[in-house]
Amino acid sequence: MAKTEFTEIEKKILHIVQANLPDSATPYADIAEEVGTDEKTVLDLLQLMKDEGTIRRFGASLKHQKAGFNHNAMVAWKVDEKVIDEIGKVAAKHQLISHCYHRPTTHPDWHYNLFTMIHGRHEDEYMEVVEELRRTTELDEFAVLTSLKELKKISMTYF
Amino acid sequence: MDKQLDAALSSIDRKVLTIIQSGFPIAPRPYEVIGEQVGLTEAEALATVRSLKERKIIRRLGANFNSKGLGWRSTLCAAKVSEDKLDEFIAEVNSHPGVTHNYLRDHEFNIWFTFIGPNWDAVVDTLNGITEKTGIEILNLPATALYKIKVDFNLTDK
Repeated sequence: MAKTEFTEIEKKILHIVQANLPDSATPYADIAEEVGTDEKTVLDLLQLMKDEGTIRRFGASLKHQKAGFNHNAMVAWKVDEKVIDEIGKVAAKHQLISHCYHRPTTHPDWHYNLFTMIHGRHEDEYMEVVEELRRTTELDEFAVLTSLKELKKISMTYF
Repeated sequence: MDKQLDAALSSIDRKVLTIIQSGFPIAPRPYEVIGEQVGLTEAEALATVRSLKERKIIRRLGANFNSKGLGWRSTLCAAKVSEDKLDEFIAEVNSHPGVTHNYLRDHEFNIWFTFIGPNWDAVVDTLNGITEKTGIEILNLPATALYKIKVDFNLTDK
């Protein structure tokens, strides 16, 4: 069982590293000084969380990882629950699909249970992916949820 | 990776990025560790990383948490919101720190947002609170299976 309870000092450490490491040759000693602990406590906490996987990745995030692919659509499909895992895996193989999830629904006005996020350099490109998936999976009920406006986009603050 | 970014990188930049993208050293002198692996001094390794940050090639240097591993729960939500109620609903939804993405989309369900909370009860309570406050029903669609989530591109592909 991974560590998921944290002391106040630990939360302060994690609050710093969820943003940016201090810009110095000794970032962990700097964090320790700022939160009022010793460097070993900082190193041990981060190493433990990395080993346990609660820190998924510790390092640099780069800019514009999909630069040029600015035309995106969320496309939701109606798929028989019996074959959805199989079809989900087929969709996941496509290069231009970045996310693919099974989201069951019982809502009377919403029948689509497989969600794909498709990226293209222009509108035609993501529609080609939709057509290709229709051909390969024989799915014919789907909704193209084009984004009209970004209303919020932030990174989650956990600590 | 895209051509513009690719052209901006020297061979040393590339080597340093390959190391620190997946694993920035958790050690008292991390830049000494990086330097040893790529044949730079500690000062040179630090200068390389600083330059990558200044050129905005590195967007952030820190921890990425696994929300599920920490016990947090996430979901995708949708709502049908009429024109006259849009501003109020958007303001209420966006006021919650657990709402990380929110889009107006071209559909009868026109508002789509992601929500993440410290546990499932907190997620449900917050969504119910939004509905009580605004009178708008929220379609709550947690994922039961994840077939793909985009991974970071690999610089060593070059």
